[in-house]
Amino acid sequence: MQLYVCIKHVPDSAAHISIVDKTHIDENLTFLLNPYDEHAITEAVRIKESLPGVEIIAVCLGKNDADKTLRSALAMGVDRGILITSDKRHDSIETAQALKSAIEQDGTPDLIFTGKESIDAEGMQTMFRIGALFDFPVATNVVRVDIEADRAVVDSALSGGIVNTYELSLPCVLGAGRGLNTPRYPTFPDVVKSKKKPIKKIMFKELNINVSLAGMNIVELEPLLQSREPKEITGDAGEIAETIIRILKDGAKVI
Amino acid sequence: MNKKYDAIIIGAGVIGCPIAYELSKMGYKTLNVDKLPDAGEGSTAGSCAIVRAHYSTADGVAMAYEGFKYWLDWENYLDNVKDEKGLARYMNTGSFLLKSQGHDWKKVKKNYDEVGVQYEELDNDKIKEMVPVADLHEYWPVRRPEDPKFYDEPTKEIEGAIFCPEGGYVNDPALSAHNIMRAAEAKGAEFMFNAEVVDIRSDNGKVAGITLKDGTQIDAGIVVNVGGPHSFKINKMADGVWEGCNIKTKSLRHEVMYCPSPDGYDYLNDGYHMSDGDIGCYVRPEVGNTFLIGSEDPDCDPQQWVDPDDFYAGKGGNGKDNVLTDAQWKAQCYRLGKRIPSLQVPNQPKGVVDLYDCSDDWIPVYDKSDLPGFYMAIGTSGNQYKNAPVVGRMMAELIDACEKGLDHDKEPLQYKFKYTDRSTDVGFFSRKREINYNSSFSVNG
Amino acid sequence: MMKNIGLIIELNNGKIKETNFGMITLARAENTELFAIVIDADTGVLKEDLESFGITNIIDVMLPEGQQNNPVICAKAIITAIKVFNISLVCGLSTAKGKDLLPRIAAFMEAPLIMDCHAIDPEQNLVKTSQYSGKTIATIKLTGEVLILGVRPNAIAPLKAHTSARIVPVELDEKNLVSKGFKVIKTSETDESKNINLADADVIISGGRGMKNADNFDILSKCAEKLTAAVGASRVAVDAGWVPYSMQVGQTGEKVSPLVYIACGISGSMQHFAGMKTSGMIIAINTDATAAIMSNCDYYVKADALEIIPELTKLL
Repeated sequence: MQLYVCIKHVPDSAAHISIVDKTHIDENLTFLLNPYDEHAITEAVRIKESLPGVEIIAVCLGKNDADKTLRSALAMGVDRGILITSDKRHDSIETAQALKSAIEQDGTPDLIFTGKESIDAEGMQTMFRIGALFDFPVATNVVRVDIEADRAVVDSALSGGIVNTYELSLPCVLGAGRGLNTPRYPTFPDVVKSKKKPIKKIMFKELNINVSLAGMNIVELEPLLQSREPKEITGDAGEIAETIIRILKDGAKVI
Repeated sequence: MNKKYDAIIIGAGVIGCPIAYELSKMGYKTLNVDKLPDAGEGSTAGSCAIVRAHYSTADGVAMAYEGFKYWLDWENYLDNVKDEKGLARYMNTGSFLLKSQGHDWKKVKKNYDEVGVQYEELDNDKIKEMVPVADLHEYWPVRRPEDPKFYDEPTKEIEGAIFCPEGGYVNDPALSAHNIMRAAEAKGAEFMFNAEVVDIRSDNGKVAGITLKDGTQIDAGIVVNVGGPHSFKINKMADGVWEGCNIKTKSLRHEVMYCPSPDGYDYLNDGYHMSDGDIGCYVRPEVGNTFLIGSEDPDCDPQQWVDPDDFYAGKGGNGKDNVLTDAQWKAQCYRLGKRIPSLQVPNQPKGVVDLYDCSDDWIPVYDKSDLPGFYMAIGTSGNQYKNAPVVGRMMAELIDACEKGLDHDKEPLQYKFKYTDRSTDVGFFSRKREINYNSSFSVNG
Repeated sequence: MMKNIGLIIELNNGKIKETNFGMITLARAENTELFAIVIDADTGVLKEDLESFGITNIIDVMLPEGQQNNPVICAKAIITAIKVFNISLVCGLSTAKGKDLLPRIAAFMEAPLIMDCHAIDPEQNLVKTSQYSGKTIATIKLTGEVLILGVRPNAIAPLKAHTSARIVPVELDEKNLVSKGFKVIKTSETDESKNINLADADVIISGGRGMKNADNFDILSKCAEKLTAAVGASRVAVDAGWVPYSMQVGQTGEKVSPLVYIACGISGSMQHFAGMKTSGMIIAINTDATAAIMSNCDYYVKADALEIIPELTKLL
């Protein structure tokens, strides 16, 4: 069984983000494996441990230093990695095409995992595009996966505690949610073992992707500035509570 | 008319507060000024707060051993003051010093014998009994993960360890400074926060007082520099002080990692403080069943000297600012991963980056200065948290003696410890000393 | 040139959710015709409300029997409507339901999609959304024949614009409405709503020393439930054993960046700040007016959180 996990090399969520040229971030900070992809990899490893003959391949589209994120994936139990190198920023449409093409070239996927979203672009859609290109069924924010013979039964979480249970035929594409498992991080012996695992590098332009007429391009990036000017909320408890609700509704727009 | 005090202490961290406390007990009217909003919020808060006795000099060992007694008797030390934030707690885990090529442990043993520190020598079987997750191979010399030899298989084991039943850490260093502040206030000390010193005034060749950023001038015949990583800037503000020091200080950037304990090992409750020169790390437990991993600054790790103001403002860029680096996260966690093979290392770095106020030989400067009335308790080099209460008392006695006419440079004060039957020559900490090559030149002191 | 904009209306028990009206307001522009896409509902009942916000066409989509919960079928039906009515811009709410629906539409059509937009320029095909865990705002240009947008609920307040609408049914070709390899087994409700992750939450309500004991954290939990928020804590509360370490926000706990951080009885030490300073909005409730957080927030309340939060829960 060939399990592919699509992973992304992203800035640490705790990193301070500064903007360069109004369109890019200053990349002089820690990049690491997208946190949701950690859940995807951990699930793939769990499946591998419960079934015979499973191979896990991580695929990543990124610059050369995304190699580091593939190394993290290998240390977490992935068998081998594929890095599609590109210096450009690609939108989800191009990313899905690249990942699909690389997977197709490499083998025959029985199951493709991704994280439910990347913490930088937060597009939440690449897994669906991969599914459409392959004509495979897709589910996202998956918090439980059961593999049976030729299908996967999954719980896909909506908000408010509502969970949809879907049955997808294999091969399928699944976007891992945070509740799926607790990521199993590598020990130092795992890191040592993984150093021998191979990473194949292909260039984006070698993949012969049909340029799509559709696209999403970042034309500007601005920092979200936080200069705080504290304002007091006064009144009795009830009045204060009302004011807070108004602020949450009209100011922060969270209710 | 400027406000006047007997003594102004610059800094309300874990060293500045006990100095105020002891001087107040002696009848001095003291004021601490600190540019941050509360006591212990500066480099004190980033301290690992480890309390252990192994130092490279007998005096170092003696002072640390003396310090224990204060931590163990905390409420009484504070004269039972009430602190609305609660009291910091000393957690006595016991302390391992692994016998490695990274530590001159034989010298430490000699010092222990001289001072009378309790210890046991343990063989590897006994260590494994006490620390079941440990792998006792020798991994020396310390390397970085970028070095291919970092991954070499070990061939032999270390020789065992020295175990001190007395040793551990304080669970909240910032709180401990706050506690001492409350104790000092109960004796009449005053504290001023969000107050940054920009000038030290002198008059007729003696110190006259300070000037704050907002222009406020406060007068005192005694000014004490306890500014932590900012100490060198403060020394430069006072006439002749910087020039009169042979030992200088500067701030060194340090990263301390927080890594979860392996499944099934309750490090928080069952674990020990461990000093492991073989891998260049020291560890102690932290809330969340976490290993707090400090570095012993092995030679292969680049030292980053930074400007403290730029650092705390987050300026300077990757590796200079106050953000953890991935390279150092992996270095410290993987080093510990050799000693504890079941340690799982998350991908996201987590921990604290802060500064040591480092002296040229990693031994503090507890001294007067060339400007009469100006004193300094600086250069703590990441290894003096544990001595704070002792230093408070020692500095108060030094200041008092000097103010009453002692020529400390010619006839150094001999400080008598309160609990340990021993005196220490305060001249050991002189600003005028030559670099002390007996020092370990590291956080080990 | 008249542009047809499709608005996928999200319903709750057959009623239009309030947030749809803000979305319609956001999408309104010159030279546009607004088409509401309504799935499996009594459009006659909904007509008046939709008309008051500028909808001129209500596309009545009835899904085949038994397929109401299937997002694949729903997506394909909407695609039929998009094609039949020449819709070039499709908006839906960026809610949990939207996250399971809009990307399917975009993927099947190979159309561009941006989720969680809070501003739209339908003439220039530009949208604004946040990226990098809420730390930046990205302006994105979309190109393609059909553009799909997931709109942030409550991005703007709804503004009325009365018009009149006609209801148009759309004929679905059941042969094309295939859910290949994808079956809905069931929908269930779990208690997981009580355990929203700190890292993912839009709203965090956090307790510190001012909570006084472990039991009082229940006050925060009840409020959090109403707000769909996560509950956090300062180091003090964790050290005291009132709450587990997993709830700790700060330098050595979790670093969070929610839209709103409500700090209850937290003084705001630098270590705590390091963990939440990038929050969109900080509301501090503390009896101590001199606490550091009171001068480093957006709104402050000089009161006991143990009194304020229950009031808040009552009114929510």
